[in-house]
Amino acid sequence: MRAALRIAWKDLTLRLRDRSAIIWGIVAPLLLASVFSLILGEVTDPDAIDVTIAVVDDDGGEVSQGFVAAVRELGDQGVFDVVFGTSAREAEQQAEDGEIDAAIVIPAGFTDAVVGGRASEIVVVGHVDSPIGSQVARAVATGFAGEVNGISVAVGTAIAASGDDLDDLDALVADAAAAPTPLGLDTETEASKELSASTFYAAAMAVFFLFFTVQFGVIGLLEERTQGTMARLLAAPIPRASIIFGKAITSFVLGIVSMAVLVVVTSLLPFMDADWGDPIGVAILVVSGVLAAMGVMTIVATFAKTPETATNIQAVVAFLLGMLGGAFFPLSQLGGVVARLSLLTPHAWFLRGLGDLSAGGGPGDILVEAGFILLFAVVTTGFALTRLRRTVEL
Amino acid sequence: MRVLSIAWVNTKRFLRERSNVFFVFVFPLLIVLLIGVAFGNSFDTRVGLYVDDAGGPLVDELVTALEDVGDLAVERYGSQAALVDDVQRGALQGGVVVPAGYDATLRSGAAVEIGFVSRPDQSSLLVGETVRAAVVAEAIPLKAAQFVAPTATFDEALALARLVASGPSVTVAYREAGESLFEDFRNLGTFDLGAHQELVLFVFVTSLAGSAALIQTRQLGVARRMLSTPTPVVTILGGETLGRFAVAMVQGLYIMVGTMVVFGVSWGDPLGAIAILVVFSLVGAAAGMLFGSIFSNDQQAGGIGVLVGLGLAALGGAMAPVEIFPDAMKTIAKATPHAWAIDGYAELVRRGGSFVDILPNLGILAAFAAVILALGVWQLRRALIR
Repeated sequence: MRAALRIAWKDLTLRLRDRSAIIWGIVAPLLLASVFSLILGEVTDPDAIDVTIAVVDDDGGEVSQGFVAAVRELGDQGVFDVVFGTSAREAEQQAEDGEIDAAIVIPAGFTDAVVGGRASEIVVVGHVDSPIGSQVARAVATGFAGEVNGISVAVGTAIAASGDDLDDLDALVADAAAAPTPLGLDTETEASKELSASTFYAAAMAVFFLFFTVQFGVIGLLEERTQGTMARLLAAPIPRASIIFGKAITSFVLGIVSMAVLVVVTSLLPFMDADWGDPIGVAILVVSGVLAAMGVMTIVATFAKTPETATNIQAVVAFLLGMLGGAFFPLSQLGGVVARLSLLTPHAWFLRGLGDLSAGGGPGDILVEAGFILLFAVVTTGFALTRLRRTVEL
Repeated sequence: MRVLSIAWVNTKRFLRERSNVFFVFVFPLLIVLLIGVAFGNSFDTRVGLYVDDAGGPLVDELVTALEDVGDLAVERYGSQAALVDDVQRGALQGGVVVPAGYDATLRSGAAVEIGFVSRPDQSSLLVGETVRAAVVAEAIPLKAAQFVAPTATFDEALALARLVASGPSVTVAYREAGESLFEDFRNLGTFDLGAHQELVLFVFVTSLAGSAALIQTRQLGVARRMLSTPTPVVTILGGETLGRFAVAMVQGLYIMVGTMVVFGVSWGDPLGAIAILVVFSLVGAAAGMLFGSIFSNDQQAGGIGVLVGLGLAALGGAMAPVEIFPDAMKTIAKATPHAWAIDGYAELVRRGGSFVDILPNLGILAAFAAVILALGVWQLRRALIR
């Protein structure tokens, strides 16, 4: 054990001195996460969508005023911003210029047409680059049209069903208007498990580069060999296992320290302001993530003869796993086969776990995620150990 | 001639490393494929649907009504928990939960509350309004059928109500207005944008990572041996630059031809497309020279090279299109050669431009190349003859 600690201590001072661990473990993820947050932070933030809809009531009748009141209520609830325009042309022009997302225009004579059972048309003009805003404006107008049509269709059907004898049309309309609508939509809001844009990039880059950071330990084994120091280690009165263990400690310490620094720094940086969630939960995910990264990187190293080849193959594997794990873009949100494949990587589970924490979860809510990452660690480490013996030779 | 042989040795040394082959030839196409598959299909809003029992004809009609809403992709779920989880994780923008006994309840004349699972964010709540509109429309004939139900059976009344509903009614007319910032993206194939971005990204990253080889040339003493021969320093510098340029060109041409053949990516006017690649490869080669001369540790130069390459690519719009950047970042993007190269391809492919239209881009890229190369050669000359 003392020998292992000594080897680890020597490796750690070496890595700090040639700065490679700092570059891969801290500078690289921090730099890329910052760049991504700066260029994409606004776009990918789901709360950044602000919809403004203009409503123009050219009719001013009883029916259209009901609509205006309903839209005003949606505006008051904060679903979207509502402005009330006076001129249809002006509102449509604003939609065309992109000043507002969409305009809804109720034509003159609308109330009369509805009461008289004639066709009438509500016009919605949406800006071409506001698909969501336009969709909402259409939905609001369609919903209103549906309510109006619901009454007239009920009345019409009643008349058609009873033949010609209608005693009192006004009473029938009143009944139809009072009749309950058979379908309601009850919205239930669940806590979001989506990470904010800057938290996502901070976490994704941290876990992506973690696979580069932990490689320094096992690469050390290969370096001892090429530098000729392996012979001296083997000649020393220490068990071979403690050489391996020393390298493992190096990887583990580098991984944990770099992740800890990243968590703290990205939380403090004002333009990132990442929110990692419950500290104990984060710690569990980080430790299991470091172990998983160590496992897979050790396997890769045992297939290489020189440290250079090992570094190169490890880069390939780290990039492939990172891409698939959704560290560059959130693949899991796209559904389908890719999303399922994505769950084969520790990256995807790490990010999922953070999602649970961001919804206010604690250590108990990430056990499944941590379990998958640890399973990955156990399987890869087990396989690595069967091959590692032959690396600790001359 | 000696310039060429130095260049050739450099190229060969680079390609002999197997992982280089992966990053140069396999990886770019993989990424183009992944981006195409992931983002190429559609930008439909995904909504989940869970029916709490075996369903019935009225449920089927509701589902069809939802599916008929434009831009809405409806996905069936077998469990409500899975649906809620996917909404929470952002895989779905919302979830519709149809309660058990939907058909029976409606037939009995009672009302049904359909559930909508949403996240607290704006985009999810807005999708709720879209779903609500479809539900309101679906309710029209149902309401009429329930209204007259005492005088006729539900099914007869429903059929009658549908007939009445097809008569004159209030309709909603929709039109799009304005000019899209993304107008020219519509001319792009599924893989086009990704391929243009990856070309630029990889040519530059490979060039910077290649700076490690330049340092090895010095470390291994190859440079010293070359200098001991009657070879002028200029020739050695030229050969080294040309070697880097050759690798960049080989990779660039490979990505162009590869994506063209495999994914049918369009590169526009061939003369213009090649011209951009040539000048951009020069910029990459020059940057590789500069890197190789200021660092003395090949591991560090390679690592930082990849990092700077990725960072510049992101800033220059090679990971996400510049068009969606905030304004300040758009301005910063112009300071990268990447942005000018991608804009050049945009001109050729999206706007159907020709060689003449991209002359400004070529000029600016050439200026980048000249300045960086001058710096690199000056630095390397010092490093070599020191």
